[in-house]
Amino acid sequence: MPSTRSIAAVLTSQATIEGAGLNEIAAEAVKWHDKAYGDQLIYKRHLDVGGDYAYRLRGEDHNWTPQTIAKLQHSVRSNDWNTYQEFARSINEQNEILLTLRGLFEFKFADNPIPLDEVEPAGEIVKRFATGAMSFGSISYEAHSTLAKAMNTIGGKSNTGEGGEEPERFNPLPDGSRNPERSAIKQVASGRFGVTTEYLVNADDIQIKMAQGAKPGEGGQLPGHKVNQQIARVRHSTPGVGLISPPPHHDIYSIEDLAQLIHDLKNANPNARISVKLVSEVGVGTVAAGVSKAHADHVTIAGYDGGTGASPLTSIKHAGSPWEIGLAETHQTLVLNQLRGRIAVQADGGMRTGRDVVVAALLGADEIGFATAPLIAEGCLMMRKCHLNTCPVGIATQDPELRKRFTGKPEHVINYFFFVAEEARQLMAKLGFRSFNEMIGQSDRLDMRKAISHWKAKGLDYSRLLRKPEAGEGVAIYNCEGQDHGLDKALDKKLIELAKPALERGEPVKIEIDIHNYNRTFGTMLSGRLAEKYGYAGLPDDTVYIKVKGTAGQSFGAWVTKGVSLELAGEGNDYVGKGLSGGRLVIYPPAESKIGKAEENIIVGNTVLYGAISGECFFRGVAGERFGVRNSGATAVVEGVGDHGCEYMTGGIVVCLGPTGRNFAAGMSGGIAYVLDEQGDFSDRCNLAQVELEPIEDEDIALEELDHQGGDLESHGRVDLSHDMTRFDALRLKQLVERHLHYTNSEVAKRILDNWSSILPKFVKVMPVEYRRALKEMQAQQMVAEVESKGSH
Amino acid sequence: MGKPTGFKEIARQDRTYAPVADRLTHYQEFVIPMTDEAVSQQGARCMDCGIPFCHQGCPVNNIIPDWNDLVYKTDWRAAIEVLHSTNNFPEFTGRICPAPCEAACTLNLEDEPVTIKTIEYSIIEKAWQEGWVKPQIAEHKSGKRVAVVGSGPAGMAAAQQLARAGHGVVLYEKQNRIGGLLRYGIPDFKLDKKVIDRRMAQMRTEGVEFKTNIHIGVDIQVKQLLDEFDAVVLAGGAEKPRDLPIPGRELNGVHFAMDFLRSNSHRVQGDKVENFISAEGKRVVVIGGGDTGSDCIGTSNRHGAASVTQLEILPRPPEQENKGTTWPNWPNRMRTSSSQEEGCERMWQVATKAFVDDGNGNLAGVTCIKVEWNKDEQGSWQMSEVAGSEFELKAELVTLAMGFVHPVHEGMIEELGVELDGRGNVKASTEGSNAYKTSIDGVFSAGDMRRGQSLVVWAIREGRQCARAVDEYLMGSSDLPIW
Repeated sequence: MPSTRSIAAVLTSQATIEGAGLNEIAAEAVKWHDKAYGDQLIYKRHLDVGGDYAYRLRGEDHNWTPQTIAKLQHSVRSNDWNTYQEFARSINEQNEILLTLRGLFEFKFADNPIPLDEVEPAGEIVKRFATGAMSFGSISYEAHSTLAKAMNTIGGKSNTGEGGEEPERFNPLPDGSRNPERSAIKQVASGRFGVTTEYLVNADDIQIKMAQGAKPGEGGQLPGHKVNQQIARVRHSTPGVGLISPPPHHDIYSIEDLAQLIHDLKNANPNARISVKLVSEVGVGTVAAGVSKAHADHVTIAGYDGGTGASPLTSIKHAGSPWEIGLAETHQTLVLNQLRGRIAVQADGGMRTGRDVVVAALLGADEIGFATAPLIAEGCLMMRKCHLNTCPVGIATQDPELRKRFTGKPEHVINYFFFVAEEARQLMAKLGFRSFNEMIGQSDRLDMRKAISHWKAKGLDYSRLLRKPEAGEGVAIYNCEGQDHGLDKALDKKLIELAKPALERGEPVKIEIDIHNYNRTFGTMLSGRLAEKYGYAGLPDDTVYIKVKGTAGQSFGAWVTKGVSLELAGEGNDYVGKGLSGGRLVIYPPAESKIGKAEENIIVGNTVLYGAISGECFFRGVAGERFGVRNSGATAVVEGVGDHGCEYMTGGIVVCLGPTGRNFAAGMSGGIAYVLDEQGDFSDRCNLAQVELEPIEDEDIALEELDHQGGDLESHGRVDLSHDMTRFDALRLKQLVERHLHYTNSEVAKRILDNWSSILPKFVKVMPVEYRRALKEMQAQQMVAEVESKGSH
Repeated sequence: MGKPTGFKEIARQDRTYAPVADRLTHYQEFVIPMTDEAVSQQGARCMDCGIPFCHQGCPVNNIIPDWNDLVYKTDWRAAIEVLHSTNNFPEFTGRICPAPCEAACTLNLEDEPVTIKTIEYSIIEKAWQEGWVKPQIAEHKSGKRVAVVGSGPAGMAAAQQLARAGHGVVLYEKQNRIGGLLRYGIPDFKLDKKVIDRRMAQMRTEGVEFKTNIHIGVDIQVKQLLDEFDAVVLAGGAEKPRDLPIPGRELNGVHFAMDFLRSNSHRVQGDKVENFISAEGKRVVVIGGGDTGSDCIGTSNRHGAASVTQLEILPRPPEQENKGTTWPNWPNRMRTSSSQEEGCERMWQVATKAFVDDGNGNLAGVTCIKVEWNKDEQGSWQMSEVAGSEFELKAELVTLAMGFVHPVHEGMIEELGVELDGRGNVKASTEGSNAYKTSIDGVFSAGDMRRGQSLVVWAIREGRQCARAVDEYLMGSSDLPIW
């Protein structure tokens, strides 16, 4: 950490905790130079090993060492408190090796400690603990479900991470009891993989991951070789095709956008706390204040320490900042603005011991997140091979052979958390706190350690970090109030009332209702209730048919489930069909509209169908930017799109019957798009990094084959068409245009159908290269399987 | 680095031994080296762990993943440089180290560790063969002189490091040849003594002066060293054997293991030996189940003993350890040494009560009793004899291989009056500004003399670190590595 003075010499920024000056930085450079050019035999012919990414005794110091890992694992496996204490001591006592800011804190213990048995029991403290957002995909089913079982047992929370959760893990057991493998926290990250309505309604917390402490500002990716059948199923993607989580959420470009997503998710599941995960950095307090004002129930401040083995090497170290800095700033800002009571604050990022927990509480945390430590408790050895699928202890791998090597038990994780809580209790007794709540935000009980002898740490100044904000009378300094989400004003309250026959008995209902642009998030709360009862499968198409009139607010039709059809005569706004989970959305200008040609006007706003899983949309008119971004499987027909259409799409079909903006298909790894390119210049506006453009061939033979099957294009044919995305393009396209005409009375659709054979050659098929390879591989496998099964008879 | 999937594709393969019947006829090494290609393949099995537990498990902290990878990539020359940067004598450890690194290897979780020891052995042997092991003569001489007392692995390592730092080093040895326990304790069939001679030649060129047949504290007063040298390193080992003071201890045929082994090694190396202890045609009982006991077994069988029985007072260890609570530490598990494999009966939970006199002052047998181990109320293990379980073993030769209690105090240590720790070892710490310093200014101690009986690899570590401490003491700072 540099000092303000040295920063000011080169930058315009401020240091929260001060630190090294230019002299110290220069001294260190000289030291390196001496090593490189001095007399040391071992560096005569070899470079200094560094040891940043792989532990080396001659290199950088680490918290996780062979000793600390072994001690932690031995202690949790044999439930040995003494060995845990040895572990905790070696982490907590940082006399010469200074690795964390809190290592330089010391406690101001109470003059009169309280007896240990008067301190809140460990069984209560562990309920404040959560495990980190590591996805099933990045880690194995065994590793992921073991964490879930442990956290469910102790009343803490485990986190799905990005990438959904298998219904088998959250559906209640046959006897009706809660599924022990259910992750209480369901993450909604920028990729929106597996974020179905059913997923959302099975959450206690829904966490919006704005960024990740270990790699702030970066997205993530799951390489194709880790996307096996099972993972593809829960992510609603194609096996073998790599998946990209974009760096930003495409529906969040401002705090208002974030408020909208919070509102959407709260609608989907009003019982869940909506959480926002932020990254510790200077200025995060302001963001956290915005998050609290945006009605989040919970905010996570994630530090840089810890971090994943799969992160890019450039991010594993020195990206982000310690949670101590972000947490202190967040708590101080929230208290000063009287926003603290209505939001729970969680600190996370390299939490290891009970002392860490107490420090976090004193700096203002209600809850604590742990990621690496519980993984180590269940067997992780910090191989840092997470991206290679070769984890030798069956954690960060999907290799069935290596997964057999996993030896972790929920008890190991449970033992670990109880040890941590017990260590925290002992410190609470010495500090004189009977309850955790009393302890939160009492930063005046921390002091900077005196007599810091390290030459680089001498300039540190923790006074800004440890300042206790003055809270007026009655101003809450820990989470003890709730947020007002304004759900009582939602139109969906009325929809739920009117859809009772469908909700209770699955009977069809027809609803007519007017909408205005202040009616945000329409159809979502109703869909949530349906998903609770009927799951992802939902109800037969059109069971709940809602005819809507007017101008919709944002997030019209977000997370609408199968069986719900929304027909809007009017116009949509931004985020139409966000997270669409099987429902059908139809939007067209009302008959009395005076706008002239629908295909020359915007009918839906930006970022439509973001993260859609399945369902159908027919929009008579042009869509804004980022149409179909991160679409996983929905089918949509639209009459023109803005820039960045089909960005990061992994599945589904988009038909665009008019011009597109630039950068079409950027990062598109799956699904297909058909674009009517009447001007012949589409290839200039398409991003060809991952896709190829193909003409659409008229497939007489294919048509004949299908006709023999009955030719019922409405039902039978459609199933077959979606089965094989490498063929039947002309037929599929024609069907969709016919349906577009049917639902929206589109003049464009009519013109195309009337001139089918002359217009068809002007369509271009956008086909992701990796997707085609994966589909071909799957077909080949299927054929082999068929031949084999025939042979065995 | 490495081959990420190597451990899944390539099976563990290690050096093998020559057949028992063959190797019992001589005192030469019988481990069959592997080809470079095979060793290189084994290097590919290393996973380049983010936290390499082997690196910590190895007492000299060999940078194992780095040289595993270099061997995989067949850059043997760089491999020996990395290996030599942490270990002065990989040819010793590559032969006789129990390899705690392999116990700590991540692949040992599945009992398939990388064959680290064989790779180490192969690197150094290749380096000697190719002429890559050259003297590293100090560019500048310090003008300081250091005496190192004791030429075992600790003394040798300290001497080599100090010479390379430019100091004038004299290495004193009371026996007629350099090497300490490496020379006369470990039998030739486990460590060919040419291996020591080869290394001595390098050290001599680097400036180490060897003085044998000088017993400090007996032949020369230690005070003389203090006067002549700027610093003295005590590396005389922990040579006081644990005795068994039971009836009959004085009988002919009851010997300390080291006396038995030393007399044999002298003879094998061509020295004239008075009072040679032979096991030929005798029924031999080895008391003590450790490495020294094994060396007695191997030597007895080569002498042509009629039978060999080994007694161990502790229970038979489990065949398989609980990995979850032992790994990466050295596990207590059933092991069979190459010498045990050559033929002996092993008995556990046996205490020795008396040695039986044949009537002429010669050993005729050993009276034994079965023992039990149970935890007391404090949770510590307590031994008790099983009533009525006495039995007798016929024996004409007994070797006492029950370990060493501490350094010999008579002579040098008493004369110096240096402070001892609670166990009778020379007192010195290993960390901080007083590392390896004894209570006497300018006198340092390393190896078994400081830490008590231990492994060769620990002795090398201490010798190296002690050299750094001496260098710092003499020069104010040191470029010698700690690790």
